[in-house]
Amino acid sequence: MSAVKPAPPLDPAVEVARVKEDVAVGNEIVRHKLSSRVIHWVVAATFFLCLFTGMPIWTPVFGWMAHFFGGLSVCRVVHPWIGLAFFASSAVMMVDWHAQMTLDRSQKGWWGPRLLRYLKWELEDENVGKYNEGQKFYFWTVGLGALGVIASGLIMWFPAWFPAIVRQLAFVLHDVTFILFAVAVVFHIYLSTSAEPGTFGSMTRGTVTRKWARLHHPRWYREVTGEDPRRR
Amino acid sequence: MAHGLDIRRSSASVWGSLSGMRSTPTVSKYIDTTTCIGCKACEVACQEWNDLKPVATQQVGTYQTLPTLDPGYWNLIRFNERDFDGGIVWLMRKDQCMHCDEPGCLAACPAPGAIVQYDNGIVDVNPDQCIGCKYCETGCPFDVPRFSQTTGKMAKCTLCVDRVSVGLEPACVKSCPTGCLHFGTKDDMVALGHTRVAQLKQNGFAQAVLYDPQGVGGTSVVTVLGHGDHPEWYGLPADPRVPLLVKVWKNVLRPLGVVAIFGAVIGAFGHFMNHGRKGVKGSDDHDVNLPDA
Repeated sequence: MSAVKPAPPLDPAVEVARVKEDVAVGNEIVRHKLSSRVIHWVVAATFFLCLFTGMPIWTPVFGWMAHFFGGLSVCRVVHPWIGLAFFASSAVMMVDWHAQMTLDRSQKGWWGPRLLRYLKWELEDENVGKYNEGQKFYFWTVGLGALGVIASGLIMWFPAWFPAIVRQLAFVLHDVTFILFAVAVVFHIYLSTSAEPGTFGSMTRGTVTRKWARLHHPRWYREVTGEDPRRR
Repeated sequence: MAHGLDIRRSSASVWGSLSGMRSTPTVSKYIDTTTCIGCKACEVACQEWNDLKPVATQQVGTYQTLPTLDPGYWNLIRFNERDFDGGIVWLMRKDQCMHCDEPGCLAACPAPGAIVQYDNGIVDVNPDQCIGCKYCETGCPFDVPRFSQTTGKMAKCTLCVDRVSVGLEPACVKSCPTGCLHFGTKDDMVALGHTRVAQLKQNGFAQAVLYDPQGVGGTSVVTVLGHGDHPEWYGLPADPRVPLLVKVWKNVLRPLGVVAIFGAVIGAFGHFMNHGRKGVKGSDDHDVNLPDA
């Protein structure tokens, strides 16, 4: 009988991150519990499958993408079905997360000079909670975008059911929504990876460092740890 | 698809295959609705030549074979009924692809080469390339292309391009017993149409016109209408055009979108070069980016 080696004990932070969030564990803070991370990645995966099967149909400039899926006709067949999955997972995400994403009235004007200062990394705001206004706005953009692409996409999928003008408007709406979506996603990925180091781990391991929390989300840091984010 | 013909326009492509070494006259079908007797010989000839499966007829209260075109029925005589001075008059119209000079189906089509316009003006679907997205349904101002559930592809009148390319007239023209169908160069057919319109005007059809809508650059099917002031009586749009929103979608949104997406990537890169990582430069908290700090 061979002895089975017992599995090494899990990192306590990872263990906590399976079920809880907004908890400090040692030098880390759990930012996204496992279910939040799973729904994020399901939305992301279905989004990119939709994007890469849709772009070659959109314009021959991206026609080469079709080859990764087996050709343009395969893209045309799978795109709407993945679209349904994207909409369903987005809907789950919206229901799950919306309570944390209420736009803060005291943050009015975030879209003017404050955004510019934020992008110059000059904005120091003690009052930024778990999500800043940009993140919340992105969340609602995704929700509206998902509605826009599913509504117009269904019309494009079943054109026989709709009058000509509705179909034509659907093409325009599908394009406008997806272009804004794609641009927003580029900045979402940029800001959460190379521009703001330490962020990506919150969607993989589920945790961020205390220093990260102090810098990006001071009020959240205070709420989670009870410590003053200005004191190190 | 016909081989041996140069391609003037091809869907989702920058150019066709025009070599410029020879010039092909634009061809056209001529339909005189005033001499059509509704015998449906052209419908049969179309089914025969194109080897289309029989489609079950539908009784809709007229002699018309089907309510509308079908992926397996590309040529339909519409028995439009009209009351004139107490008597019913049939305004027969041969419904099929109009082979527009500026085809809306081709403009809307996203699959390279799935819809082509030959040098002689004939607009054709290439089933090899068609992906069955039905965008052409939305692009067409005449409601002609039909999606076949059997093949998963679009189907419509080819103007018998396989016959035309070897010097034969389309099957429908060949079969017409009254001579209301003719086939030839567009110039000849337009001339024939004007002659017939002048004749009609002398014989009590003051509003007679040759229907060759310029909104789509003219069509390779020209139609003599006795009541030219009312094309809608025949089920024809008064001023067909490629839908404006389809043009906006293809010619404005598409290039703008490509620029926007590449612009976003370049913008993010430029931002990174200008400002670097948040919390690294200009902060005394130098190691904030280290996950294990």
